[in-house]
Amino acid sequence: MEYFAGVDIGSTMTKVVIMGDKMEASLIGPTGPEHRKLANRVMEEALQQARLSFDDLTYIVATGYGRINVPFADRQITEITCHAKGLQSLLPSVKTVIDVGGQDSKGIKILNGKVMNFVMNDKCAAGTGRFLEIIADSLGVPLDKIGEISLTAEKIAAVSSTCTVFAEAEIISRLATGEPVANLLAGIHDAVATRIAALVRKLNVEPDIAVTGGGAKNIGLVKALGSKFGRELLVPPEPLITGALGAALMGKDIYIKYASEGLKPSRSGNKLEEATFFK
Amino acid sequence: MAEEKKGRAVATSAAASVPKFVRGNMQATLRAKEEGKKVAAAYIADGQDEIFRAMDIVPAWGESFSGVCAAKRDAEKYLQKAESDNFSRSLCTYATCEIGFDMMREELGGAMPEGAPWGGIARPDMMIGNGQLLCDPRFKWPQATQHYQRDVPVFVNNMYYPPWDPNGDHHEVEALYVKYCTEELRELVKFCEKICGKKMDWDRLAATVELSDKTWDLFIDTYALRKHIPTPMDTGDAMNTMVPLTFNLATQEAYDFYVALKAEIEQKIADGFAVANPEKYRVIWAAGLPSWFALGDFQYFNSKGVVFPVEVTYRGCEKIELLDLPKTNDPLEHIAWRWVRYWTHWYDAAKKRPGSTPKVERIIEYIEDYKCDGVVFHSAFSCRSWHAGIMQQAATLKKVYKDIPILIMEGDIVDISSYNEADTHNRIDAFIETLAAYKTRQG
Repeated sequence: MEYFAGVDIGSTMTKVVIMGDKMEASLIGPTGPEHRKLANRVMEEALQQARLSFDDLTYIVATGYGRINVPFADRQITEITCHAKGLQSLLPSVKTVIDVGGQDSKGIKILNGKVMNFVMNDKCAAGTGRFLEIIADSLGVPLDKIGEISLTAEKIAAVSSTCTVFAEAEIISRLATGEPVANLLAGIHDAVATRIAALVRKLNVEPDIAVTGGGAKNIGLVKALGSKFGRELLVPPEPLITGALGAALMGKDIYIKYASEGLKPSRSGNKLEEATFFK
Repeated sequence: MAEEKKGRAVATSAAASVPKFVRGNMQATLRAKEEGKKVAAAYIADGQDEIFRAMDIVPAWGESFSGVCAAKRDAEKYLQKAESDNFSRSLCTYATCEIGFDMMREELGGAMPEGAPWGGIARPDMMIGNGQLLCDPRFKWPQATQHYQRDVPVFVNNMYYPPWDPNGDHHEVEALYVKYCTEELRELVKFCEKICGKKMDWDRLAATVELSDKTWDLFIDTYALRKHIPTPMDTGDAMNTMVPLTFNLATQEAYDFYVALKAEIEQKIADGFAVANPEKYRVIWAAGLPSWFALGDFQYFNSKGVVFPVEVTYRGCEKIELLDLPKTNDPLEHIAWRWVRYWTHWYDAAKKRPGSTPKVERIIEYIEDYKCDGVVFHSAFSCRSWHAGIMQQAATLKKVYKDIPILIMEGDIVDISSYNEADTHNRIDAFIETLAAYKTRQG
């Protein structure tokens, strides 16, 4: 049996998927400043879950913004390509992917699992998971609850500030005037969805549309985005691991391509050893 | 002390010589003051070059100064100075950088601010603005900086050309625009004569115009060599080799520069030189000024096998015969025709392709001629008038031409606070993967 691993080092979370004939393991852990150390740890746990050793892995692909800090990976591929690949395996009808990550958001047009076009917002926190995190903190509401609460709003409280810092100040002052938390959260989700939709519309958006990344775990954001595009958006079963899954599948594709020519892809040769920037 | 970025390696020795060219232009303004020549605060690509050169007026290029500050990563102090007088960060940062520098120099009574990049540029004797369709700041920029240099006279020269109208015929109004531009240039000559205290030598002007025409032709012939596969020179170099055309037009040294560059490129082709080896993908720099502080990004592309054999930016000329200019004995009228036709000669092609525009048609022409696989735009946030239409160009290109991979990079020309190298490289990596998928689909 050949096993392939995908390691996705996102800005806030690190994800590992190990694939054989089926998904053998998937693990998610927080990304810290020491990417290398964390990648090792999550990979070790994923191997334990799959009851495999590191030497059992045929090929490893790293993705995400921290992909260059995975010494044991055999290849680095961007999260754009990996999300497209992962999504296609989970939801083959999807032609447009909206990835809402911790510090950026992206729109990806795909055709048969290949990237046709993409857009990214990596300049501004508004329109990313970080914006929602800051607002949740300001309102004293757990991050994993803000989506559900936003759906109980009687009305959407308009938030005029498009800057995260000013929006936070606006929310606090609106709270002081008695605006219900649910209404404010509905307004915030609407504002984030508006910004993401404006970004993604730069692509020629075609259905089906899917949402991935941490933002896809927020039902309020998914609904708000759906209203912007006038349709229900699809969400994979575990939206955080789409990139890592795609990375593992890309590794499998690379291996098969080489194997078809009687070859083996070159490996990094690095072992799963603890490494840190601070040693 | 600002961090000065290590200079990027260049493929041609001609490009490597350009910083000396730029420095020479800046130092010429300082030398002019000692020699009693007049210095004009001037702005590029507006049809005024020959008038300056024929009257021995030394141009102090605002955009060049700010570009140098950006490339040396030393613009922040000038941007902050301008911002302290409420010049918004969203204004053109070429303008705000240079205005901040002017403000500092005036506070020193006209003396050069300490640490001015490459010795700075001299206090002008006149400021020649330009209202035209390409760039709005150059209408207000000299007027704004005149608030700090009240004794320096300003002349704003308006060089308009027929705007694109798919339902109109620009040929019907072309002559009217040419007449207007000619009169504007004639008024500029009168203004310069008054400041310089001498009359225009019209024969000398005609000779400089002829030299410019020759330089335009030579420039295009030189750059056409880049069609070769693999390309011997890419946009990373062209952002340097545009300097003589852009800042030294109508001078023999500019012409000689392209003679040398052409010979060098021909030799590189003969030697089998390639910017990237292997050359995997050819892409066009379709619009946008570069981030002068991040020119090394071109090398990042090159390191991944991606080359830019052609760019729209700073290709400010065309083969003269292609423009089919009416004959005239008036050098000013010739400049005006050349100016108007440079902009309008894609109009007819655009009309033939429903939904297209002249800018898109130009990109398509270059994609075809230079065999490009993808398109890169750079959207510089502070350069509003030119960059505002980039998304529309990208969408139109896909609609009227084909679904070619497009990368929109975001940054600025001078303001480094807009730039993040890791994110930029991440976008480039993703774009290259898209190019790979596109080429696979194309078979």
